[in-house]
Amino acid sequence: MDWPSLFQSIANGILIAGLYAAVTLGLTLVLGVMGIVNFAHGELVMLGAYSTFWLFTLLGIDPMLSIAMSGLILFFIGLPIYRFTIRPILKDPPLNQLLLTLGISIFLQNLAMILWKTDSRSVITSYSGMSLHLEMVHIGLTRLITFLIAVVLTVFLVFFLHKARPGRAMRAVSENNTASWLIGINVQKTYLLAFGVASGLAGASGALVSTIMYTFPMVGFKLSLKAFCILILGGLGNIPGALFGSLILGLTESFVGTYVPEGSGWAEGISFILIMVILIIKPTGLAGTRRE
Amino acid sequence: MGNIFLLQVKKLTKHFGGLAAVQNVSFEIRRGEIVSLIGPNGAGKTTIFNLISGVYAPDSGEILLDNENLVGRRPFEVCQKGIGRTFQIMQPFPHMTVLENVMTSGLFGRVPKISMRQAKEETMELCQLVGLGDKQKAFPRNLTVADQKRIEIARALAVKPKLLLLDEVMSGLTPTETGEAIKLVRRLRENGTTIFLIEHVMKVVMNISDRVIVLHHGEKISEGTSTEVANDPKVIEAYLGEHVDESGEASC
Amino acid sequence: MNRSFSWKTVILLITLAIFMIFYPKLVDSYFLHLTVAAFLAMIMASSWDILARTGQVSVGQAGLFGIGAYTAALLYQKVHLPPVLGMLAGAIFAMIVAVFLGYLTLRLRGIYFAITTIAFAEALSVIWLMTPGVTGGAMGVSTPPLFNGNREHAYYLILVILALAIFVVWLIEKSRLNFAFTAIRENEEVANVMGINPTRYKVLAFMISAFFTGFAGGFYSHYNTYIIPYEVFGLGISIACLVMPIFGGLYTIAGPIIGTILIKAIEEYLRVTFSYGHQIAYGLILVAVVLFMPEGLLGLWKGRILPFFGRVRQ
Repeated sequence: MDWPSLFQSIANGILIAGLYAAVTLGLTLVLGVMGIVNFAHGELVMLGAYSTFWLFTLLGIDPMLSIAMSGLILFFIGLPIYRFTIRPILKDPPLNQLLLTLGISIFLQNLAMILWKTDSRSVITSYSGMSLHLEMVHIGLTRLITFLIAVVLTVFLVFFLHKARPGRAMRAVSENNTASWLIGINVQKTYLLAFGVASGLAGASGALVSTIMYTFPMVGFKLSLKAFCILILGGLGNIPGALFGSLILGLTESFVGTYVPEGSGWAEGISFILIMVILIIKPTGLAGTRRE
Repeated sequence: MGNIFLLQVKKLTKHFGGLAAVQNVSFEIRRGEIVSLIGPNGAGKTTIFNLISGVYAPDSGEILLDNENLVGRRPFEVCQKGIGRTFQIMQPFPHMTVLENVMTSGLFGRVPKISMRQAKEETMELCQLVGLGDKQKAFPRNLTVADQKRIEIARALAVKPKLLLLDEVMSGLTPTETGEAIKLVRRLRENGTTIFLIEHVMKVVMNISDRVIVLHHGEKISEGTSTEVANDPKVIEAYLGEHVDESGEASC
Repeated sequence: MNRSFSWKTVILLITLAIFMIFYPKLVDSYFLHLTVAAFLAMIMASSWDILARTGQVSVGQAGLFGIGAYTAALLYQKVHLPPVLGMLAGAIFAMIVAVFLGYLTLRLRGIYFAITTIAFAEALSVIWLMTPGVTGGAMGVSTPPLFNGNREHAYYLILVILALAIFVVWLIEKSRLNFAFTAIRENEEVANVMGINPTRYKVLAFMISAFFTGFAGGFYSHYNTYIIPYEVFGLGISIACLVMPIFGGLYTIAGPIIGTILIKAIEEYLRVTFSYGHQIAYGLILVAVVLFMPEGLLGLWKGRILPFFGRVRQ
């Protein structure tokens, strides 16, 4: 039994799961609070990645430091997106919401192509190639930091939802819209803030993405599909489910990458296959729906 | 086909989450009867309809139509076996005219399938029968509540059902409209349709039913003629706490 | 039901037919190419609309398009199957795949089905990239020019298929299928209780849609002489298929046609300006349609054009 390979696989899987979880947090928040699947979420992540890339390339700001900045930039981008395109369709049939967010997604993908061309960008820092050498495992430094920051983001979100007033308002609204309104919660403002926070999370996770993957206009689309896969794996609209789903996806991709011949290519398709297999077997997703 | 029982429901049970919506319910309906299903709000009446028409699958129990088991069949199969139903909240197809709404069930609910021409002719006759003769080209959203109920009934009738399930068709009607509806139901029975209805309007129930079945908290608590049921202490107790006003209509 | 036959319509159709037959003589080669591309898009838009009539939104038509494209290209490459037969084979194979996929996934509602179709197309893309021995992989597959480069013949072929597609949609609208599709779309549960088997009719719609989309893929592979997975299984194709009918007006014959013409015009203008990213217009259009004109262009024109063509359902 090749223990080092196994442990390395597990380590890689966990590390990448952290990134995937960070990416999925915002999507989960929007789905949980207002019941909308934001097809453009991946593009918000993409914009976060580009923002970090440009901050690094033009101003020399280290990507790990610009996480907060990218998060803030996307927070402020998310607010008008919500106000002008999402708010009008809150009560529309789900297919309309699908088409609208899909439209935003296509718009942003192509905008990125026009502004920044289709070349892949990399963020290479002085420590990009470094890794920690433990007994049987090598852990890339960048990946480790990314994982830790992803944990921080998740913890921050959980604290926010449970301790902060606006966060608790979001939880109330996701449980019961009318009751929340009756007890004086401003539902519209809560939605607005939730979308802003979700966009901010997308931006922050985009910063992380830029350090681990190439940054290019379609990177958001690729990540969206992984995020959908995670949602379906973990149950929609709840954070523990998103973490669980991220782990499953991360580990599966990692194992396929290690043990299947030419696995790194096939690993890309894992999320698609998982999506199709799970939905075919259990149309409501693996953990069932928290919200139909 | 010599069976006098058209519908037999045996020990029907359905849970949602941990809650029993319908518990161990059994009853029969004879061919040609008009039977009413009554009970306080939340008693499980519409759930019974949903179970019979195949929208829900029961946890246990049997549903026999002309001795054929319907459990496990999907709604469209149940329909084709001879059950037509209306919905409590009216749901006509919004982008079809009245005629098209009714033609839809005529075209698909019937076995064997009929031609478009025949469906159209039958539909026009049906519309006349229920009182929509001059409104066939109208769209449902422009019609009154009473007319929308007529669409529901006509749609259910278009499948030429052996058993017609009417879900609270009388609520929200004026006294005149109610009178017309009662006449219609009687005429349908004369034409050979067996009718099972859920009703809140007690006056109608007393007037029209051969038999009445009473449901409370998902269980059958009484059964018999309207007078028998009206005098049953269990039934009175179940409705106690409900205000029964002069019009005879039980309200919550 | 609207009357399908008025003499006005017949005369118009005959005039149109004559015009279309002589069209290649009237325009230059580049414009003819644009027209062929537009016809191809109309076929895909109309066939997307067929499935949409049952209330299912596919964002993965590229999967079927790519299957059609590769079936034709690979069959030519391996056994020299003549192009038109290859396109037919592509159509049939796409249809078969649609039956399997449909039965497995069409009971999924709305968003889930849409996500599954996206995953389907992307999965095919990955499979293709990873099996270069069989499929040509990232390097793609080449075929010689269609009809030896005779664009007029290509035009007539695609014209015939487009006419066929429109005819099929017209037949659907006249038949009981229209009732089934509309009922399922407007209220699937009620349709079910009325005796309609939703899955069966949805799969039927998907099959018809797949046939034409697959044929379009097959045609594209020969006409373009070169296909790669990134392109024929790409999101861009799936998006194009849905933007055109949504823009023009769903659940109609004219809507997808009109939508295609306008979008192709916009796209041609943008393509000259930006080499990548011209689909930005698609994004804007989708957002605009959902926010401001959910019925599409035909919805806006309802009061004016329609008396000529007969009543349209709102």
